[in-house]
Formats: sequence, structure tokens, C-alpha cells
Amino acid sequence: MIQKKVCLLGTSGVGKTSLVARFVHSAFSDKYLTTVGVKIDKKLVPLDDTNVTLVIWDLAGDDDFQRLQTSYLRGTSGYLLVADGTRRITLDQALDLQSRVVEVLGNVPFILALNKADLTEQWEIDEARIQSLVAENFSIIKTSAKEGAGVEEAFAQLARRTMQPA
Amino acid sequence: MRPWPRAVPPQKSTDELTELRRLLVRPEQEDLRALRARLDNKERRAHEVAEILPEAVTLTGRRSEELARALRPAVEDSVRASVEKRPQFLVDALHPIIGPIVRRSIAENFRALLQSLNQALERSFSWQGLKWRIEAWRTGRSFSEVVLLRSLVYRVEQIFLIHRETGASLLHVIADSVAAEDPAMVAAMQTAITDFVHDSFKGTKKDEALDEFRVGELNVWIERGPQAYLAAVVRGTPPRELRGCLEDAIERIHVLRGSDLLRFKGEAAPFESLGTEIEPCLRAQYQPKKAAASHARAWFALSLGAALLVAALIVGAASERRWDGFIRKLNAAPGIAVTQAKHHWLRRSFVSGLRDPAIADPFALAREAGLNPERLRFEWKNYLALDDPSVLRRFVRRFGKPPETTLTLADGMLTLLGKVPYEWLEHVRSEGRQVPGITSIHEQNVEVIFDPARVLERFREKFPPPPALRASYANGILNLSGTVPWEWIDQVRSGATGLPGIKRISEENLKIAYDPALVLRRFIDRFNLPDSVNANVNQNVLVLEGEAPHAWLTRVRRGAPSVPGISTVNEEKLIDLDQRTFQQSKAVIESAFVYFLLNKENFATEGFAALSRLPDEIRRCLSAASRLGLEVQIEVRGYADSVGEEKKNLDLSQRRSNAVKDFLVKCGFEPSLFRSMGMGAPPPPAAGEAQPEQADRRVAFKIVPKT
Repeated sequence: MIQKKVCLLGTSGVGKTSLVARFVHSAFSDKYLTTVGVKIDKKLVPLDDTNVTLVIWDLAGDDDFQRLQTSYLRGTSGYLLVADGTRRITLDQALDLQSRVVEVLGNVPFILALNKADLTEQWEIDEARIQSLVAENFSIIKTSAKEGAGVEEAFAQLARRTMQPA
Repeated sequence: MRPWPRAVPPQKSTDELTELRRLLVRPEQEDLRALRARLDNKERRAHEVAEILPEAVTLTGRRSEELARALRPAVEDSVRASVEKRPQFLVDALHPIIGPIVRRSIAENFRALLQSLNQALERSFSWQGLKWRIEAWRTGRSFSEVVLLRSLVYRVEQIFLIHRETGASLLHVIADSVAAEDPAMVAAMQTAITDFVHDSFKGTKKDEALDEFRVGELNVWIERGPQAYLAAVVRGTPPRELRGCLEDAIERIHVLRGSDLLRFKGEAAPFESLGTEIEPCLRAQYQPKKAAASHARAWFALSLGAALLVAALIVGAASERRWDGFIRKLNAAPGIAVTQAKHHWLRRSFVSGLRDPAIADPFALAREAGLNPERLRFEWKNYLALDDPSVLRRFVRRFGKPPETTLTLADGMLTLLGKVPYEWLEHVRSEGRQVPGITSIHEQNVEVIFDPARVLERFREKFPPPPALRASYANGILNLSGTVPWEWIDQVRSGATGLPGIKRISEENLKIAYDPALVLRRFIDRFNLPDSVNANVNQNVLVLEGEAPHAWLTRVRRGAPSVPGISTVNEEKLIDLDQRTFQQSKAVIESAFVYFLLNKENFATEGFAALSRLPDEIRRCLSAASRLGLEVQIEVRGYADSVGEEKKNLDLSQRRSNAVKDFLVKCGFEPSLFRSMGMGAPPPPAAGEAQPEQADRRVAFKIVPKT
């Protein structure tokens, strides 16, 4: 059995905890998120030839990266960068966050999840912006924690990428 | 081994070269040839390998487990094949080992059992044990868990081997009967908390980190290595020696698997074999046992418990018998059909079925069977039982059963025998056939008995008694005493014997009081008092005054004493009208004279006048006599004067009598009414009496009873 530590990163209110809740049946209370700044869950993800246990560290979102508990990133095999599609600024913050994470972790696999895909009419991130990020080799998946769209795919893709050699 | 010589290329001639080669490399060639021969010789090679094999295996085993891992499948298959093909071989081979092992295991287990029993006794029959039981009941934990916790100094319950970099759980060992969360998540959270604490206190040095923390009764001790750390979850207060154990373990782990830890990419399998390094740290320490006195006390308690158990079994068996008997009795009871019965010890026993509520009383049956009804719970569905015993019981439940009465029921006919109280019988007569299952009542052979009090009650109700009355009842006789009005007793006499139980009335000591007015009323009502009569009653004497017809008077004389309140009749002042009329008429008739002519039987003038008035008088006289009940005759006495011959005079007097009689017969009277008598000469008149001249020539009358 292979365990992989993955983190969820993103500013507050983008729906990280909701994505985890949609993906797994949470065992720990959410109070850990507010107390220690992290909530941990686990989910077995079947891949083509093996099963991977994702130990998901849901890090408390903060607009200020300086306040992020960077020690929580240590040993991370990959991370899900989450932004709120209805708030353009959360994407900017996520990208800023990602560049800082690179400073700490180096080039670790990640997926950019544009959440709240169920509210497309309220989206502030246009397709051109998305395509420009794709052009920069960003792996982007639109997710909806409310309806479940893209959630399984995002985590499965992240798991697959953690298994690929660096 | 020396290095292989490099090959020389051919130059001048083959022979020279061959010779040169032979000279140069001959020894090596020979060695090579010998080596090839050695390698080709399997037997020899086997001998050589056999010589070095044990040493090689030992060396390989020291370096790693690869040899063991490589050999494991082949050895397992071989053993399995051997067991399948020649089990007896293995049995024989293992027998010398298995026997002692089994005996030792049994001995160990028995010793552990005894120790466990001792501990259980101590804990069960001590004050502390009782407290622990209360605590177990209060907290919802099992008793054994409470005992373990309370007698525990410390116990290492879980040890996690955690990768420092990733927080991944590499290994998790756990003590017996300890519940554990998912080790992967616990390890990750443990790491997060450790990092959180480390980062939160910036003053700590790089190598300083959270070494231990406490959660309730649990301590978590952390022992760090360069790549991994151990987190031991300890219940209670561990000694410092445990820290040493953890340090040794983490050091050995890094020695054995340091490179694997460095290269860790999420695969935990290489660390599974490290359990033997960690498990020695799963230590526990319990409070020392108390002195042997507690054993004696415990054994005494055990003996006492055993005795109590035996007593309980005896009591239980008796209780079971009682219960079975009760259920049988219940089933046999009329009006009850048991469908389900459960006997419980600690809660109320349960019985359900069908019951005729008018007949069966299961609680009474339970009491008869020696069971406490409050410990029973019945659930009945009502039904109407129509078998004879049930019907009879229903009848008795409704009407009761007099002690001296026998009741039998057959085919719906209820037969009463023996002594039966009147009131009960009346009740049964009126409502007995309303009992379902009873169609007729046969009571011909009963002896009805009466309750004196109820008899007197009915008597007083029917005849409200006057104040001075005393009444008693015995053997069918109503005994009355005291003074009562006649009117009351008259009603009693006519109606009391119609009351149930009163055959006759005894008035021996009863005085009857009469109200004169009511007595007179009754007299008048009966005799129709004539207007010419005044009547009153005084001290039972009816006093009559005035004039009354003879017939009425006769009826009064005859009947008045029978009027209640009249014992005698005083008629001194009452005149009998018919008697007076009769006497007056009689006097008139007897004083009348019919005179005749001299020596003739012809009426004289004044004689005829007198005779013509006689018929009316005679009629009045006869009428009065008739009312008086007298039958009379009238003697018509003829007289002649004494002049002449006596015989002639007698004859003349006869003829004169006949002439009057004839005259009166012609006036309408019956001839038999008269008796004509020739009297001859009349007797001489009394001295001084003056008589007319023709007085001797007359006919006189005398009214006499008829002969």
C-alpha cells in the first residue's frame, strides 16, 4: 500500500473543505481546521495498477501566505490549488500562493481546481484566462463541491501525478 | 583468484604462437581446465557447496532478510506438500516437541486461569471490587475494563512509527483489546500537531520538538530519529525506563532501515518487519497483588458464594416447580387457557392467553400456588367459557353459593340441593337463567331456610308496626307481643302468612286495643243502623237505644259479638218493635168478645161489630208473629150461658166458635190458623168484676203457639 500526502491550498472561502467533504467521508471534526490550522482526511484512490492512499491535508486558507503553516507542506507529494471561479482575485491569490509554495517544496505536482462550477453565470474568470494558464502548463479542472462535478477527477488526477517519477 | 590473462593475437605462425601460449599460459590453462572439470563435476560441486552453504546462509541472514524471503515460498510449499503426502512423518518428527509444548501450554493456561480466578475473586468480593462494579455501571464500561484501568500503573497501548517528512504511518503496533483509529490519519494528525507546536513556539531550537503530551489518562511520548519517530500512546504514568526502550527502538530502526527511510516514497511495506523492534516497548505494569490474606478472604468468599449458589439453585428449582405447577393449575382452571408463559427471575414473569373474566381469577391461583402476584404480568384476551365447570363458576361468582347448598350443572340444567336461603333462591329464580350456559333451574328438592332478621324486615316493611309492638320470628312462627290496634292486627292476620317464611302468627302475649269510634263504624257498616236506633260502644259493650225491628235486632244479637271490639250487646233501652206490635195485637185480639143472641149461634149486633174489626188485627198480629219467627194459632173459644142443659150449652158454644171461625176463614185466613173450641159455660167472673148480660153468650180468642 502506498500512502501519499497531498495538501489543499487556496485562500479562504474558495471551498477547499467542501471539496474534501465531497471527496471523503470526514472522520475528524472540522474544529481541527480552526484550532490547529489543518484537517486531515484519507481516501483510497484506485489507479490503473495500484491503489494509492491519499492522506489529504486540508490547510486553513488565508489571504496572507505568510501566515500559512509552511511546515505542513513538508513531505507533500502533490497539492490541489483551489480558486473560486466567481471571484477573480482568488485565482490571483492562488497563483501567488503557488509560486511561494514552489519556493518551499520545489516543483511538486499540483492541480488547479476552479471551484463553484455550478455558478457559471457568476464567474469572473473568463475562458481566455484559463487558456493562458493552460498554455503555461497548468492542469486545470473545473469543480463543483456542491454538485460533485470534477471532484473525483481532480483528486484522481492528482494521485496519478504523485505516482509519476519527478 | 588471479585475473584472467588477456588474449595474444596471432602473429607469425600458429605453432609458434601455440607454443608461446603454452609456455606463457600453460599453468593458467591447466588451472582453467581443472576448474572446468571441477565445475562440470556436479557431485564434486555439490560437496563444495555443501561445505560453504551453512556459512553462506548465516552470513546472508545477518545482512538482510532477502534469503529468508527468497526461501520462504519454496519452504512453505515443501512443508505443505510434505503434510499432504506424509503427515505421519511430520507427526513423528514433531511429537517429541509438540508433547512438551502442549503440556507446557496447558500448564501455563491453567496457571493463568487460576491467577485470573484469584484476581476475579479478589475483585468481585472486595469493597474495591464493588466500587469498580459501580463505576462500570455508572460509566458504561465493562467491569474488566474498569478493573484494568484501576489496577493499572501504566500500559503502552499503541506505538506508531511515523515518517518525519511526510507524516505517513510506517508501522502501527497495538496492545491487546485496545481500540484504535486509522493509523494513517492519526500519524498525519500527530505530525501536524507536532509541527504546529514546533512552529508556534519560535524560540525552540531546530532539534527541539514536542516530546510528550497528555490527553486525559493518555500520555503520548514521542521519540525522534533522523528520519522517523516513534509515538507511544501510554495509559497511566510510565516510568522513565520506557523512554530508554523507545530510544533503543528508534535507533535500531534507523540502523536497520535508515536507507529505506531516506528513500521513502509512500511504500510502507519494507517497515512491516520492524514490529519485533517495537513490540518490546508495548509494556504494562499493574499494582502489586496484596498479601495472601486476601486470597483466604477470597476463597472464603468463593465458598460462601458457592454455598449461596447452591442455595440459589435449590430455591430456583423449587421456584421452577412452583411455576410449573402454577401454569398447570392455571391451564386446568375453568375459564383460562394459557398460550404463553415465561418465568423470569429478575423481572416480572409473564403469562398470556384467554380468560373468562367472570370466572377466572389468576391472581388468586397465583397466591394459592405460593407466587407473589405482584411479580406476575398477565395479558389476557377475554372469552366466554361455556363448559359446565366454567358456567358453574360464573354462576357462583355472580350469585355466590350458600354453605349448605349443593350446586350441580349438567346440560345447562342447574340443580339445587340442600338448604337454600330464601333470598338467594329468589335472586336465582329471577336472574339465574341470565347466566350464559344455564337454561333451566331445578329446585324441587331444596329446603328453603329463612333468615329471621330478613323475615322480620319484610314483615315490618309490609306491616309497619305500632310502637308498642314486639315481634320475633322462629321456626316459621311470628311471635307478636305488646298492645296493638285491632285494625293493624287484622291486616297482619290476613296478610302476614302470605309473607315468605311466616307460617302462622302467635298472639299469646298480644293485647288488642279497640277504638270505640272505629268499632261503632264497623258495626254500623255491617248492620245498617236503623234511624230509630242510637248506638255507641263503651268498653267493648255495644249499647243500643230506641226501637228496632225484631229481625235487625236478632241479627245484631247474633252478629254483633263477632264485630271486633264488641263483646256484648246492651239492649236494655232498645224496644223490639215487632214484639211490641205482636203483644199489642195479641192483647187486642184476646180482649175482644163476639157476643151472640140468646140460645143461638147468631151474632149479636155488638158482637158482629167486634168481629168485623178482628181480621185486621189478626193480620197485624200474624205479621208481627211472623217477623218474630213465631208460629201461632188462634184458639176460638165459644161459650154458652149456664142456663139449660150443659150438653146443649157445650154444643152451642161449639157452634158459636165454629161460626166465628167460619166468618174469619171467609175473611181470607187459613182454616188451620184457628182452632175452634166449645168451652161450655164460662168460668164465673172474679169478685167485683162486672160483666154485661150477654157476656156468657160470647166467643173469645187466645193466641197460642202452634201445636
